Amino acid sequence: MLGYITRRLLGVIPVLLMVSLIVFMLMHAAPGDPVSMLISDEASPEDRARVAAAWGLDQPVWVQYLNFLQNAVMLDFGDSFRYQQPVIDLVLERLPASLELALYATLMAVIVGIPLGIWAAARPNSIVDTLASFGGFFGISMPNFWLGIMLILIFAGQLNLLPSGGRMSWGDEIPRLTGFLTVDAVLQGRWGELRLAFVHLLLPTVVLGTAMTGIIMQLTRASMLENLAEDYVMTARAKGVRARTILWLHAFRNALVSVITIIGLEFGALLSGAIIVETIFSWPGIGQLLIQGIGARDFPLITGLVIIYTALFVLLNLLIDVLYTIVDPRIRMR
Amino acid sequence: MRMKAKLAGSVAGALALATAMPAAASEDMTDARITVAMTETIAGYNPYGDAVVLIGSLWCKVYGCLTRFDFDEGQFVPYLAESVEAIDETTWHVHLREDWVRHNGDPVLAEDVVHSIDRMQNDPGSVRQFVVDPIESSRAIDDLTVEIVTHEPMATLPDNLSLLTVTSKALHDEHGSDMYREHPYGAGPYRLVEVSAGEHMILERVDDHPMVSPTNPQQIMYRIIAEPEARVTALANDEVQIAQGIPPQLVDRADDLDNARIEFANSVEMMFLAMNPSTHPWDVPEARQAVAHAIDREAIVQALLGGQATLLHGAVGEGQFGYDPDFRTPYEHDPDRARELLESADLVGVEIDFYTPVGRYVQDRQIAEAMVPMLEQAGFTVNLQTPEWSTLWSNVQSGGVPFYYMGRGQMLDPSRALHQYFRTDGSPRLDFSDPELDELFDAERQEFDPDRRLERMQEAIAALTEAAPAHFLWLHQLAWGVSEGIDYTPRPADRVDGWDIHVRAGD
Amino acid sequence: MNAETLSFDERFGYLLQPKALFGLMMLALLVAAGLFAPWLAPFDPQHQNLMMALTPPQPAGPHLLGTDHVGRDLLSRIIYGARVSLLIAIAVVGFSGIVGVVLGVVSGYFGRWVDSVIQKILEVFWAFPPLLLAIAIVAFLGQGLAIVILALASQRWIPYCRLARAETMTLREREFVVAARSLGAGHIRLLRRHILPNVLPSTIVVATFAMATAIISEAALSFLGLGVPPAIPTWGGMLADARSYISTSWWMALFPGLCIFVTVLGINLLGDVLRARFDPKMKSH
Repeated sequence: MLGYITRRLLGVIPVLLMVSLIVFMLMHAAPGDPVSMLISDEASPEDRARVAAAWGLDQPVWVQYLNFLQNAVMLDFGDSFRYQQPVIDLVLERLPASLELALYATLMAVIVGIPLGIWAAARPNSIVDTLASFGGFFGISMPNFWLGIMLILIFAGQLNLLPSGGRMSWGDEIPRLTGFLTVDAVLQGRWGELRLAFVHLLLPTVVLGTAMTGIIMQLTRASMLENLAEDYVMTARAKGVRARTILWLHAFRNALVSVITIIGLEFGALLSGAIIVETIFSWPGIGQLLIQGIGARDFPLITGLVIIYTALFVLLNLLIDVLYTIVDPRIRMR
Repeated sequence: MRMKAKLAGSVAGALALATAMPAAASEDMTDARITVAMTETIAGYNPYGDAVVLIGSLWCKVYGCLTRFDFDEGQFVPYLAESVEAIDETTWHVHLREDWVRHNGDPVLAEDVVHSIDRMQNDPGSVRQFVVDPIESSRAIDDLTVEIVTHEPMATLPDNLSLLTVTSKALHDEHGSDMYREHPYGAGPYRLVEVSAGEHMILERVDDHPMVSPTNPQQIMYRIIAEPEARVTALANDEVQIAQGIPPQLVDRADDLDNARIEFANSVEMMFLAMNPSTHPWDVPEARQAVAHAIDREAIVQALLGGQATLLHGAVGEGQFGYDPDFRTPYEHDPDRARELLESADLVGVEIDFYTPVGRYVQDRQIAEAMVPMLEQAGFTVNLQTPEWSTLWSNVQSGGVPFYYMGRGQMLDPSRALHQYFRTDGSPRLDFSDPELDELFDAERQEFDPDRRLERMQEAIAALTEAAPAHFLWLHQLAWGVSEGIDYTPRPADRVDGWDIHVRAGD
Repeated sequence: MNAETLSFDERFGYLLQPKALFGLMMLALLVAAGLFAPWLAPFDPQHQNLMMALTPPQPAGPHLLGTDHVGRDLLSRIIYGARVSLLIAIAVVGFSGIVGVVLGVVSGYFGRWVDSVIQKILEVFWAFPPLLLAIAIVAFLGQGLAIVILALASQRWIPYCRLARAETMTLREREFVVAARSLGAGHIRLLRRHILPNVLPSTIVVATFAMATAIISEAALSFLGLGVPPAIPTWGGMLADARSYISTSWWMALFPGLCIFVTVLGINLLGDVLRARFDPKMKSH
């Protein structure tokens, strides 16, 4: 197992090389140049040339790529064109915000989705099943921006219970330890700030978690139904074990492989795909950073972020694969 | 209870008052903190590294710029400079004021100005070189006097100097570019507390600064809230006190709030349809004129902008330099005339690609969509193209986009903008060339007498409108949400200056 | 509840239930709307009338579902929009589903270097921002339907692949697979007869949800000007238009959203029917 993990971790190197190469090529092939996005509307051609030279954009693409690789080995992705500070600083500053949001959304989806799915599988076509399925489909049919803005209008506007966005209110910031505000607040025993952090987290978490809850619920239900029809459940029933135990122990354990897979996938999607939610709720995460980076053709920022994403996703996949072997010992990773 | 209305929002008034009795005792000063919700992004600590107009003006507030535009007087007035005078056609003397010091107590010196011109041009992070492009050389004559020489005669230099952020040479010599983050000491009325790139910027009032009055907020957070609904909601919740960019469809909702109201400001960003004469059919003047006649501006402004736009006659509107109240555009909405023009040039059915930005300007794509049937009625066959903004913007800058809807801001004085788009070789954006117009433009720029320059500018704009390389559409009236506890009249040109914001007593 | 009724339910129940019939009818209706749009739509979907912009739904007509920001009839646009939106959804889900499941099954069944290579490819695609891909393709090929489908499909095969792989890995060691293998069944036969059908249920769940996200994601591309050309009405494009008017003109977002909901519902019910018919385990009881 340890050898397998080591091999997988080493396997990240070719993946990173591939990703960085493709990103680099596409960035330069895509229309729109960083200088145009960077300089003022009023700049003259000479100004453009000066800015291009300052950022090394006047060099051939392959030279730029080699320079990038050389520095990237030392985890130096260069300075962002737009923000003029090291990309790695920018990303590390914002990554916790995205991770925290994604984690709570996933938590919500798991806590609500899995029990609902099991319940629905135990009584297919019951009221609970039908309602939960409808809810799930409704959740996925609503675009994120619609749900997000609606929640803002209702809970921040009409009811005035929650803030309209951001991670923390001005003046209530706490010293940064991990960057995860809820964790930092607990570590420092700042309970008022902990409450505030949750208050800010609530709406974006619900928006992000809704679609995920629906899919986890449906997948749990389908996997459970599939497994309930299997021979071993029949056998267990024949042996007289209590029905509830059968449901939980056998069917769920087998369904868990699929459910873990989808949790991993959705969690990854939340990290890279929370752009709309981050924008609507002014959430300072990396999704927004990426879309701004692409909009500004901020090459170092784009490459840096994609590299970070790659590393995150490789780790995530590895973690899921290891979990498989724990959940289902028949699975062997080779 | 309330500030006198006259004083509120009056820069000149505030300045006179403050200078008369400087250093108001700090206990009389409000300790209110307000938040301003903004739409665009914040680049970082480098005062030369942000191309966003509003942020540029904030840096002028922290470090100080040489001149500033006085919206009440309608012209550029000295700011860090005590006076700016033209010695001859290309030589200027800037005298710095003696009584203002930096937030760390250092004086503002002539060498700082020379240094700043260099930073603006050569700082690796600078994106605002255009400000100092016309400057050939600068030198300190004495501690407080700078001599600036321009490449060619240029009456509009004070406009450029209003964008020149003056940072400290001594601090830069000592700390390099770290000074922007660690030692951001300027001589402006607000000092920098914190910048979070892409998120917010916090400024704090300098209590003994001559330009602040006791009702100016003690701290201001400029915070990015991209979603309009969220901005309005934040205003309703008192999370923010001033909100930029309320879109037309939300104006009523914001204005109906108990705790806030809407204030309008004319933007100085002309919206126009550019027609590149080096492409067909825009090489045919009749085609361009047909476009100008075909567009029903009135209907679009009513339906899509909630009436919140001022129709343009020429490139500038009221409050901008070069405005001529008597001038009417020769191209009023006239679909029959448009059709006739196209028929006369034998161009009916000609296929055109029409490019519009998406989400860049107020209702941009929607407006372009509404124009399509109008153009088709005149006889064009229109392909509406909606490229992603960076693609379109880069292509417009490098030239060759045939026909596009666009805005050009920073036009308090339209000289730079008009040269850029319409003077031969001004830029590749339009490929328009008209020797007679070039002469008019040059005459305007080289005229130092303001009254005569105004006439020249008006002539140039009239001739330009007639030639129709672009159809000038309107200036958006930008709606700002303002809390009831605040006296603030938004200014044109995206300025949110602390000295313009007054917190009402008792709130 | 006992095993007999459960399997009966799974086998025939859905076909007989009004819910299933209802769902199938819904789908048929949407497809028919798209096919016969020119005859069904009360207005030209492109026809603008600025004076009538943002008219609320008029139950008495003429604009049953109201109009949009430039005064186009929403009902007509929804009917025409069904064409492109359903096409996008089916193409994206079909393409990514087939590619994903095949790669996933192969990856999970053969393991070792095959798995390693396929998973590395997957990781490359996963980390890659599809937006950048879309921008680059649009630059070379121009705005169009194919680009939208390609951009959307570029990452959507990943969930199918990971799920199919995970399930294949558990199935590989199951008694019935091991037994078949020891009886000398070839790889292809094993994959087709024993693995693929068992992977189907989770695939259908993912596909159901992917339908909705494909249609909605087109809206996200439209925001940036990368969607299908603005002259073609789509539900995603209508949602993108509606974004500015959420608090003021609810009908603009509601009706296209409802159409997506109905589509998802219909697909899900159809999926249940398919699952019941093709799941080998369910047949065996």
